[in-house]
Amino acid sequence: MFFPKEMTEVELIIPSKDIVAVAKVLSGHGVFHQVDSTYLGLENLGPSAWQEKAGNYSALERRIQAIMQTLGLPEEYPTKANAENMVELESIRPAVSRIDEEVKRNSDQLSNEKKQVELYESQLRQLEPIADVKVEVGALNKSVYMHSILGVLPAANISRLKTSIGRVPHVFFTLREDSQKPVVWLLGPKSNSDILERAAKSAYLTPLSLPDELNGTPEQITATLKKEIEASKKKIADLEADLTKLGKTHKAELQQLLWDAHISRVMADAIVRFGQLRHTYVVVGWVPSADLENLTTKLKNASKEVLIETHTPSRSDHNSNIPVALTQNKWLKPIQNLVTTFGRPSYGELDPTLLIALSFPILYGAMFGDIGQGLVLMLVGILAHNRIFMKGLQSLGLLLVYAGFFATIFGFMYGSIFGFEGHLVHEYLHFDLHPLWISPLENILTILGFAIDAGIVILIFGYLLSLFNTIRAKDWAHFWFGHTGVVSLVFYICFLALLGGFLGDTAIAPKVAVAIGQLPLPFNILTPIFALGLMFNGLFRNMAEGHRPLVEGGIAMFLVTSFMDLFEGVISMLSNTLSFVRVGAFAVAHGGLSLAIFSLAGHEPDLGFWITIVLGNIFIIGFEGLIVYIQTMRLHYYEILGKFFHGGGMRFEPLKLNPSQEEA
Amino acid sequence: MASGVSGYAAISTRVRAMKADLLSAQDMARLNESPDFASLVAALKNTPYGKYLAGLKESDLTPRRVVFAIKSKLSDSYNSIAQQSPSESRPLIKQLYRYFEVGNLKAVLRSIQTVSSWNTDISSWDRVREVLFPFPSSSSIPAQAMVETGNVGGAVELLKGTPYESTMTFAMKRFSAEQNLFPLEVALDLDYWRTLWAATKRLTGKDQEVATKIIGSLLDMNNLMWVIRYKIYHKLSEEELINYTLPFGYRVKDEDVRAIASGADIASVISKIYPTLQDVNTLLDDPQTGLPKLEQQLKRQVMNQCLAAFYW
Repeated sequence: MFFPKEMTEVELIIPSKDIVAVAKVLSGHGVFHQVDSTYLGLENLGPSAWQEKAGNYSALERRIQAIMQTLGLPEEYPTKANAENMVELESIRPAVSRIDEEVKRNSDQLSNEKKQVELYESQLRQLEPIADVKVEVGALNKSVYMHSILGVLPAANISRLKTSIGRVPHVFFTLREDSQKPVVWLLGPKSNSDILERAAKSAYLTPLSLPDELNGTPEQITATLKKEIEASKKKIADLEADLTKLGKTHKAELQQLLWDAHISRVMADAIVRFGQLRHTYVVVGWVPSADLENLTTKLKNASKEVLIETHTPSRSDHNSNIPVALTQNKWLKPIQNLVTTFGRPSYGELDPTLLIALSFPILYGAMFGDIGQGLVLMLVGILAHNRIFMKGLQSLGLLLVYAGFFATIFGFMYGSIFGFEGHLVHEYLHFDLHPLWISPLENILTILGFAIDAGIVILIFGYLLSLFNTIRAKDWAHFWFGHTGVVSLVFYICFLALLGGFLGDTAIAPKVAVAIGQLPLPFNILTPIFALGLMFNGLFRNMAEGHRPLVEGGIAMFLVTSFMDLFEGVISMLSNTLSFVRVGAFAVAHGGLSLAIFSLAGHEPDLGFWITIVLGNIFIIGFEGLIVYIQTMRLHYYEILGKFFHGGGMRFEPLKLNPSQEEA
Repeated sequence: MASGVSGYAAISTRVRAMKADLLSAQDMARLNESPDFASLVAALKNTPYGKYLAGLKESDLTPRRVVFAIKSKLSDSYNSIAQQSPSESRPLIKQLYRYFEVGNLKAVLRSIQTVSSWNTDISSWDRVREVLFPFPSSSSIPAQAMVETGNVGGAVELLKGTPYESTMTFAMKRFSAEQNLFPLEVALDLDYWRTLWAATKRLTGKDQEVATKIIGSLLDMNNLMWVIRYKIYHKLSEEELINYTLPFGYRVKDEDVRAIASGADIASVISKIYPTLQDVNTLLDDPQTGLPKLEQQLKRQVMNQCLAAFYW
C-alpha cells in the first residue's frame, strides 16, 4: 500500500517446440512485463523467422483496421482475452484480401469523388474574392505588358514575399484575408516576370489553377463549378450507401479477423524479443511477486521442460530498471491519477497516494468549508462517478466525493451552510448553526496563522519522508546534503525559530515557529553553521559521492553560485511556508464571496432573493470550487510532493492481448 | 508571488542539477583520448550517460546505437523539464523540444526518397529508427507508418491533424512539381523557427528578455548559415534568399540578411555584427572547411547566452 507492488525478475529457458504455448501464457494473463532479451541469444542464428512473421501480422492488422475504418466499423475486442486464437498468416490473408478488394472498388471511387469535390470547392474559394470582377480569368495570363500571379500562400509568408520583391516595381493585393490561406494577387512588369515567379515560388505561393475547360468570367465559372459539385455529391451519397451495406455484411467476419491478427501479432512481437539459442529461447521479464505462483503453474502446464529462475531484488538496490506496478484500488484511482500526473514512484520509493488521499480532501475542505456546498459536491461526485450526470467528470467523481465530504466537515467547523453563517442561518433558514471551531470571516488572522502552522507541519513531514526515502535507497550523500536532506531540514528548523522570534506575539505569528524558537537550543549559533552547510551542499555531496572535480568553474564562480544557492534556498523555504497561507485565505474568501452574493440578493426573502442565492451558490460551487481544486493541486505538486517525491519510475506494461485491458 | 518563486525554484534546481551532469572539458578530453570505440563506450559508462548505455550488449555497440542511447538522455531531460516548467514558459520548452521532431520528420522523408538504394535485407523502418531522435509516444508524427508508405506524398498525407499539416500542404505542391525535398525541409524549418519566436514573444518580463537573447542567438546562427549556404552552394537569387530566411533574431538584423542576399561582402557583414570573431575572411575563402568553423563560432555565441542565463 505504501510502496509499489513487490516485483520479481523471472528468467525462463524454453524449448523451441513450446515457444508458442509459453508466449500464449505470458501474453494472456496481463502480469508479465517483458524485457528485451534478444541480446542473450546467439547472433549467428541470423534474423529470427518470428521477426518477419511479426511484421506480416502487424501489416495485416493495420490493413484490417484500415478496411474497418473505411466501412465505419468500430474496433471491438472480446472483453475476455482468449489466447487460443493464434493463427497462421495464410489462413486469414485470403479472406482479408477478398474483402479488401471488394471495399476498395467502392472506396477508391468515393475517395476520387471527394477529392474532386475538394478541388472544385477550393477553386470556388479562390474565385470568391474576385467574384464580381467582370474579366475573363484566363485573360490575366494573356497580358502583353503585365505579369500576373493569382493564388494562395501561407499567411506567415506574406510580409517576407513583399520584402523580397521590394526592389522591383509591383502591385500586391490581399484579395481575401485568411489566417491560414489568404488569396493574393501579384502584378508586375513582364520584364520582371522571372523575379516575380521566383519570389512567388520561394514564398510557397500556389497559383490559382483552373483547368482550361473552365472559361469565362468568375461568375460563369462559379456556376459551372457548383453544378459539378452537385453531381459529385450525389455520386458520393450513393457510394457511401453501398459501403454501409458492405459494412453490415462483413462486420462479424472483420472483427474476428482483426482479433486473430491482433493476438497473433502481439504474441509474435513478444517472441521476437525472446533471446534465441540453438534449441531453446531465453525470456526475461518482471512479474508482481503476488502473481508469480499462479503464472509459474500455468507456465509449467504449458511446457513441462521450461526452466524458471526468479529473483526478487531489494527495494534499496539500484532499481531504475524495475517496472513499477502500483497497487490497484478503485477508491484511490483518482488520487493515484493525481500522483502519476506529477510522476510515477520509482521502485524503492514511497508511493504517496495514501498520504495525498488524506491531505488533498482535507486541504480542499479547509478552503471550501460549507455544509451545503460540500454535500452538493459530494452528490455531483456520486452522479459523475456513476455516469448519471456530467459523464465527462467520471474519472474525478470520487475525488469530488472526498473533497465534498471534507468540505462538509469543515462547513460544520466554520458554521456555514450554502453561504449562510451566524445570525443569517436563524433569520433565513430558521434553525441555529454555530461553528464547532471558528468562523473564518470573524477570525481572519487566527485562521491565516493556523494555515501557516499546518503548512509548517506538512513541510517538516515532507522533509522526514524525504529522509526516509534516502535512507531506504542508502543514498547517504542526499540524506545529509540533498535538497531536502538533514542539513536543509535543520536549517529550516533554525529558520523557523528565527521567524518565530521575529514575529513574536503578533497574531499572525505561526505558533509552531514560536514554539520551536522557545526550545532551549542555541539557534544563533546553529543558524550560521547550517546556512554554510546549505550553501556548500553541492560541494559536500560531490565529496560524499566521489564526484570530481569538487569545484567547477573556479573558486570565485563557485562561491557566487553557492551564495545564490543559499539565497534561493532561503527564499524557497520562506515561499513554501507562506504558500500555505492560501488555505486560510481561501477559507476567508469563501465567506467573503458568500457575503457578496447576499448583498446582491437584498434583505427580503422573496423569490428574487432565493433565485440570487441559488445562482450564487451554483457560481461559488463551479467557479470557486475549481479555483480551490487548482490551489490544492498546486500546494501538493509544488510544496508537498516536491519535498520528498522524485518519481521517474518505469511504467509496468505487461504483455496483454486486449488493448482495453487496464494496467494490472 | 509565492507560486512564481517556488515554481521557478523547482525548475531552476532541476536545470542546475542537469547542468552539473554535463560532461566537463576534462571529461571530453579524457573521452577523446580513448584508444578505440570499445574503450570510449566503457569510459562513457562511467558518466551520467552510463545508465542509458547499460542496456546495450557489447557486440551490439555500434556508433549509431550508442548515439541513439545518448540521445535518450536528452529526450528524458526535455520531458522532465517540460513537465516541471511553469505553465507560461512550457509552450516555449515544448517548441524547443519539437526541434527534434522536425529533425525526425526530415529524416523520415529523406529515408523515403533514398530507400531504393538501401540493402533490402533490412526493413526500411529498421534502418530509419536508429537515426531518429528517441521521442516518447507523445510525438505527433507517425514515423513508422510514414516510412512504410514508401512515398513522400503518402507519408505527408499521414500528417493530417498534426501541427505540420498546413505547412506541408503548401510545400507538397512544390515537391510534386520539383521532386526535391528542399522546399519541404525549408518550409518545415521556417515554420518551426517562426513558431518558436512567437512562443518567445508570448513570454513576459525577464523571461522574455532572457529567452529573446538565447532563442534570438539561435536564430542569428541559423539565418546567417542559411543565407550563406543558399548563396554559395545553391546559388539562389536575392528574392529566394529573402524568402528562405527570417526577419528576426537577436544581433542579426533583417538588413544584414538582405545585404548578404543582395550581394554585399559576407565577411564584412559578419564582422560588423560580431566584431570579436576572428579571421572571418579566411573562413569564407574556403567555404567547404570554413563554414563549419564559422558555425562552430556562432554556436559559441549561443552557448555564451545560455551560460549567462544561469547568472541572471
